[in-house]
Amino acid sequence: MIGAGKCQSQMEEKKRQLYMLPMIVGNYTSHENAEYYKKNLIKVNQKSDIPTGNYACGMIQYECPECGHEAVKLSIFLPVRDIEKQEDAFLFEKGELDDFIRK
Amino acid sequence: MENIKVKKINVVYLLSYILAPMLICAICFGIGIKFFPKGTMAVVLFMGPSILSFIWWTFGGRIIYKQNQKKLEKQLNENGFERNHTFYGNGSMIVVDVVHGNIALLFFWNPFENFILPASRITKTWVDDGKFGAGIMEGSSRVSFLLTIDDVKIRINTFTSNQRFRMDSDYILTGISKADMMVNVLEEARSKEKQNGIFT
Repeated sequence: MIGAGKCQSQMEEKKRQLYMLPMIVGNYTSHENAEYYKKNLIKVNQKSDIPTGNYACGMIQYECPECGHEAVKLSIFLPVRDIEKQEDAFLFEKGELDDFIRK
Repeated sequence: MENIKVKKINVVYLLSYILAPMLICAICFGIGIKFFPKGTMAVVLFMGPSILSFIWWTFGGRIIYKQNQKKLEKQLNENGFERNHTFYGNGSMIVVDVVHGNIALLFFWNPFENFILPASRITKTWVDDGKFGAGIMEGSSRVSFLLTIDDVKIRINTFTSNQRFRMDSDYILTGISKADMMVNVLEEARSKEKQNGIFT
């Protein structure tokens, strides 16, 4: 769980969505800019929809039940058979990806 | 090109790569002992070939291999080969054209001969995660993907180490992912019909 920035209450999960990041294993480069993800992520329904050797991106939207503050956590991983090899995780708290995840 | 047998090692190149510098050293040592036992020429004849041999064995093969890799890539581009996936293993290089169902191979120990073949000649592909040991000792020091063309087995390493890593380590997982991906790509190319007019 993630604590909201202002009131420090425990945030609740609102929505989660899986995406494919079109980068091939061995060529991963970290991006902290939300615009990059808006431009490149491809929505998928399940991990098996992601071609072998491509990175996946799990996006979880959180909302604070007290103050209504929203945040989006993005975790990038490489699905390898049944294992997820974690690469990066980012938290966007200024609404950078709020519209994107709602699509 | 279709019927050329894949040859991973050129024995003449391998032997000359190893033995030629030794032979030159032996000749220089012989001349040195016989005609120049002392002085500058002795230093040149004894030290020169030894240093050059060391440089040759360390860098020579890699330079030749790299140059031929570039040459092959250029040749492929010129011939309309779609380089969808290129994998540079430490002893071999494979290029896959998924669109036309072709593959190109180059080997470190046979750098002057490249093989451009229809992927339909691949008889089998698989991944070897190199897992060995049991319990807490379980791990791997090599991950590779393999393919057989006719009866020739070709192993291309995606990860190698002189240490053993746990099967869930980042190195091993990355190696497995690369190998899985390459096997999928090869199978995809294999399933495609070769387009007429390319490399025939």
